[in-house]
Amino acid sequence: MTGRALVRGGLLLAVLAAVVVLPLWVNRTQPYYLQLSINVLIFATLALSWDILARTGQLSLAHAAFYGLGAYTSVLLTTRAGLPIVAGMAAGAVVAVVAAVLLGVLTLRLRGIYFAIATLAFSETLRVITNQVRFTGAATGLVAPPLLGGHRPSQYLVILTILLALTLVSWWVNRSRWHFAFTAIRANEEVAAVMGVDVVRFKVLAFAISALFAGITGAFYAHVFLFISPLEAYSLAVSVGALVAPIFGGLYTTAGPLVGAVVLRAGEEVLRSTVQRGYPIIYGFLLAAVILYMPGGLAGVWASLLARIPRPARRGARGEPAGS
Amino acid sequence: MLIFGVLRSGLYSLTSVGLALSVGVIGIVNFAHGEFLMLGAFLGYWLFVSYGVDPLAAIPIGAAAIFLLGGAVYQLSIRRVLRAPELNQMLLTFGLSIFLQNLAIILWTGDPRVATVSYKAEALAVGPFTLGVPQLVVFGLAMALTIGLYAVLGGTRVGKAMRAVAQNRLGASLLGIDVDRIYLLAFGLSTALAGIAGMMITLQLSVSPFIGLLYTLKAFAIMVIAGLGNINGVIYASLVLGLSEAFVEFYVPQGGGWAEGVFFFLILVVLLVRPRGLFR
Repeated sequence: MTGRALVRGGLLLAVLAAVVVLPLWVNRTQPYYLQLSINVLIFATLALSWDILARTGQLSLAHAAFYGLGAYTSVLLTTRAGLPIVAGMAAGAVVAVVAAVLLGVLTLRLRGIYFAIATLAFSETLRVITNQVRFTGAATGLVAPPLLGGHRPSQYLVILTILLALTLVSWWVNRSRWHFAFTAIRANEEVAAVMGVDVVRFKVLAFAISALFAGITGAFYAHVFLFISPLEAYSLAVSVGALVAPIFGGLYTTAGPLVGAVVLRAGEEVLRSTVQRGYPIIYGFLLAAVILYMPGGLAGVWASLLARIPRPARRGARGEPAGS
Repeated sequence: MLIFGVLRSGLYSLTSVGLALSVGVIGIVNFAHGEFLMLGAFLGYWLFVSYGVDPLAAIPIGAAAIFLLGGAVYQLSIRRVLRAPELNQMLLTFGLSIFLQNLAIILWTGDPRVATVSYKAEALAVGPFTLGVPQLVVFGLAMALTIGLYAVLGGTRVGKAMRAVAQNRLGASLLGIDVDRIYLLAFGLSTALAGIAGMMITLQLSVSPFIGLLYTLKAFAIMVIAGLGNINGVIYASLVLGLSEAFVEFYVPQGGGWAEGVFFFLILVVLLVRPRGLFR
């Protein structure tokens, strides 16, 4: 047991060291890969934060709304009110959380498809408003000041820190009593309520956590790419990406959305250089294929592979406590 | 303004009635509905540009082609998720939508195309108003088809079978109705109606791979207003949407931009206030 824990800990540390050092090291000769890594981490943060909300059975199409709110709040506060960028990003996260709590309370009664359509409508309404109001730069968009003077390696460490914090939150949620509350709500809200789960509290909380990270990531994106427009910040592609990655990687897990995000972005990058246009086709194809042929995603495939290994070899894996 | 709103609602109801058929009979909320419309529009465009076939005359060909395509999509994918959780069905059609849209981008690029039909700019003076000929023709045809569908559902054997299946899948199958075939038929018909609507769009607006999503969303708005799966409410709900869009365009400063938000706003309000829909 302790030996296994040591191995696991060592592996985790090695992965951590690799994600910290590797992109920074590669950056000396190939800056493109550091940029790509930042993109991947933004995508992974969105995917994992979306998954936390999905654990309560709320499959949202509004992730772009919180991302866009974070981006716009931060840019408006830093350029129009002269706030420091860090304060702007924090404010972006706060605004996203407030919006999420409001939306969460309003959509409490809606299930499944109704919930999805309502969240989509919410996100698109925000886009149309931002597109029309002159204060938010309307359709032309806004120029954003650079984070940390535009120093890419430092920016990379910032988004990595955000993602690590989110990973810890996600890992904790899946190991604590929250895990049972979330799963019960997802399986059957009425039964969960009867068993004493405070359904409203957990659903809104999940919304808030999810939006917090989406909002801060949106603000980060604005100050790294230095320009935001309604079409990009509130893009449906953001919501779609945030949902396809967890479904592909494995829903309701911590590793699934992360792995899904990395693999998808890599695949998209390859397609981008080969077919040039229409590369998001990979999202559509994978989404349909995963639903039809591997409902558990990559995590499900991994689990069934483990199950095929003869018993003695995986004694350690069986003794693993599942959230106790 | 009223007339513009009404004219526009014809196309809306034709698009939405197809989606309502899919939702009402099969229980599939098809996110890819607008993509079939988009493919229909491209079909109309290519038939016109390559062979000089008038988009209106090409409607039977287009409808048949999209019907077959829809049937194939049903057999290959939708059929497998009929018993899956509702969200899996939604995500599958969502994936289909992304797939078809980007396929169109790969095949035909993202540029909008315009088919210039000889009577495109012609207008008729009706009393004090001048109305575009294409708009009038489209409205008439769309309404005729929508009402025709109601007649089919109400009067024919197939239509009655569809309604029976919609009410109770098991009960209908006990009566000897081949449920699977009815589903196939309903889905094909649903996509064919979208395809026809697409060919009508060729007549009056530009065609691009991106139009699909917009019409899917508008059809959703109409269905939400009518009540999900409520086929009969679609015409009234289309009028509500068409008129409110026209209203915003005419009376709100810079209304053109705000109008594209109208249907989202309607969705939000209806879902929050009366999720069952207004017309049932």
